Amino acid sequence: MPESYPDLHLDALRELANIGSGTAATALSRMLGRPVDISVPTALALPMADAVEAVGAPDTLITAVVLPLVGDLDAIALLMFGAPDAATLCGLLGVEADSEMGISALAEIGNILGCAYIGALSTMTQLALEPCPPETATDMLGAIVASVLATTAEDTDTALLLDSELTVEGAECALSFMLAPGRDGVAEILARLGLGE
Amino acid sequence: MVRMGELAVSRTSGHVLASIGLGSCIGLVLVERSRSLAGLAHIVLPESAGKDDVAAGKFADSAVPALLAELSSLGARRSRLEAVLVGGAQMFALKSSTSMDIGKRNEQAARAALEQLGVTVSAAATGGNLGRTVRVYVDGGRVTVKQPGAPEEELFAGAAQVGSLR
Repeated sequence: MPESYPDLHLDALRELANIGSGTAATALSRMLGRPVDISVPTALALPMADAVEAVGAPDTLITAVVLPLVGDLDAIALLMFGAPDAATLCGLLGVEADSEMGISALAEIGNILGCAYIGALSTMTQLALEPCPPETATDMLGAIVASVLATTAEDTDTALLLDSELTVEGAECALSFMLAPGRDGVAEILARLGLGE
Repeated sequence: MVRMGELAVSRTSGHVLASIGLGSCIGLVLVERSRSLAGLAHIVLPESAGKDDVAAGKFADSAVPALLAELSSLGARRSRLEAVLVGGAQMFALKSSTSMDIGKRNEQAARAALEQLGVTVSAAATGGNLGRTVRVYVDGGRVTVKQPGAPEEELFAGAAQVGSLR
């Protein structure tokens, strides 16, 4: 049976995502020289079968940057760009979207945002977290999200997703940022926030 | 739609079973073509390690017998069933130990479970680093695969087209 998280815990995780994505937005804004807005993040605890569609239509083509985290907990940070958003971002950086340079620029954006997000998380929870080198893939949303969830799904049928959206002002360009911690990871984060059992 | 960890069977004419966006997951298809019976499981991980309170299609070692049982209850004969495997890609070359090529391990576990039950794998589109969508047309048991940027292609011919098997 999927387990559930009490609202208080989801609120705490959402707040964590809020601070993490705020830091990431600042980093992106500095990189592009434009203001970046963040949406109120969502924290979702879902049965695994529902998780992919909660993120988006499974057959949408996206470019994703995956940052595995190691250290005090296992988690995967995932940045997702829709194809038009990836092209706009690359344009803002002055590189071709469908080139090696474009992919590498997106990986770098992923890396910088991921590190900013994780740094904030680390500071708040006093957990030592280290990102591994980023990997990029352009594929169906379903294939990417499911493959990420599979790595954290060993012990639980519940997928926990922290999802934030960043929007670059005046450029019609958005990307979403997702953190998928393993179950032990969630327990550890909550304990550090004083919400352990 | 058969989503992560789910399985479905059908003998309803006109039905299509589909898993959209299989990455490291495996779409395990079992069909009895001559009688238009079909089943699809969306396998996420190789081994259940004895866990039994999980989604029926989640682990290869428990999904294979579960799908077989559902098909048998629709009247399928095990000796006539054919298996098709789709998915098991390595989407990311991640170095962390937990994600050590889940796709390949899923395929191995699914093949082992099928062999144990004496079911032949008749076709497979597995591995690589691109996602796949699998569709199973219940009428005749035709199976198609679609990868991003490519058209839907037939992987396994339906009963009405026996002889065009690739």
